[in-house]
Amino acid sequence: MPVDTVELYTDEDMAGLKRKIKCWMIALCAVAAAALAACITVAAITNTGNAERMELYAVVISTLAGWVIIYCATYVIGNARRELGHAGTLRSDERERVEGRVTVTRRWLRIKKSITAREVEVETPEGVSRFWVAESRAGQLARANATALYTSHGYVAAYEVMK
Amino acid sequence: MRFFKNVFSQLHSFVLWALMSAIFWGWIFTIVTDAPMEKKITVYCYVPEIRDTELAVSLEEEKPEGIRMIQVHNFEYVMFDTGFIEYGDIFILPESQIAEYEELLLPGGEGVKIYDAGAGSGGADDYIGYTDEDYYLFLGAKSVHLEDGKAEAVAKRLLDT
Repeated sequence: MPVDTVELYTDEDMAGLKRKIKCWMIALCAVAAAALAACITVAAITNTGNAERMELYAVVISTLAGWVIIYCATYVIGNARRELGHAGTLRSDERERVEGRVTVTRRWLRIKKSITAREVEVETPEGVSRFWVAESRAGQLARANATALYTSHGYVAAYEVMK
Repeated sequence: MRFFKNVFSQLHSFVLWALMSAIFWGWIFTIVTDAPMEKKITVYCYVPEIRDTELAVSLEEEKPEGIRMIQVHNFEYVMFDTGFIEYGDIFILPESQIAEYEELLLPGGEGVKIYDAGAGSGGADDYIGYTDEDYYLFLGAKSVHLEDGKAEAVAKRLLDT
């Protein structure tokens, strides 16, 4: 029966991840610049009567902006960077083909300094094999009715579907 | 749920940033709310309670020419760095403390009674919480505004406030 091999990370996906990182970097720089400008304005309009209030405003503005930047840099840009690295490895390294009934489970884990992944089970005649798929691709794989997986380092790199 | 988990795992960064932010802006505002001695008049009051900001704002409404700001501090303000107080322009002291701080006061300059405990009224008493003692106003020995009369002008405003 003819099958299609679907890559989890295409060239467009890689370009999309790079674009996402760039856009978020620009957005976070804009947040930092806006917060700095707001704090400088607050400092510039400070006088004896409002000094305590203005200092509080400056602290609150810079703290909140910093928190947003820390969060997004860690979890949005950081995750995209890690996924880009992960995808690059999967695309370049050697793969192993596993055929069977593919199920994406609800179990997930965050690998330190790597991606968040969902567990994938493949029922083969020899038993159940377990792999991981990047969480961002788990939905795609779950909906695909895959008949075989191509894995590398225990992660799903591509899958086969019937035409 | 994931959001809170993420926040919790980076809690140390958030706390550290908040502390750094408070310290940094505290330092910046210390600079912003200060001026060289020639451009400010500093008033030190030996009182248990004072609405220092309000008094400073009130005095700044008619500040002498060339003066950028008027600072009002309680003596507690200088507890950790007595170097500041030496250059105070105006001192308000209770009668019982005059001898102790004599070296800060203009030599030979007699203090002006600013608060009469008997009458229960005095200068700037809306802002300064006087105790049951007479209080006196003095010009500072090392004030840089003795010759230009600006310290005296602010002292007069204090007496009339």
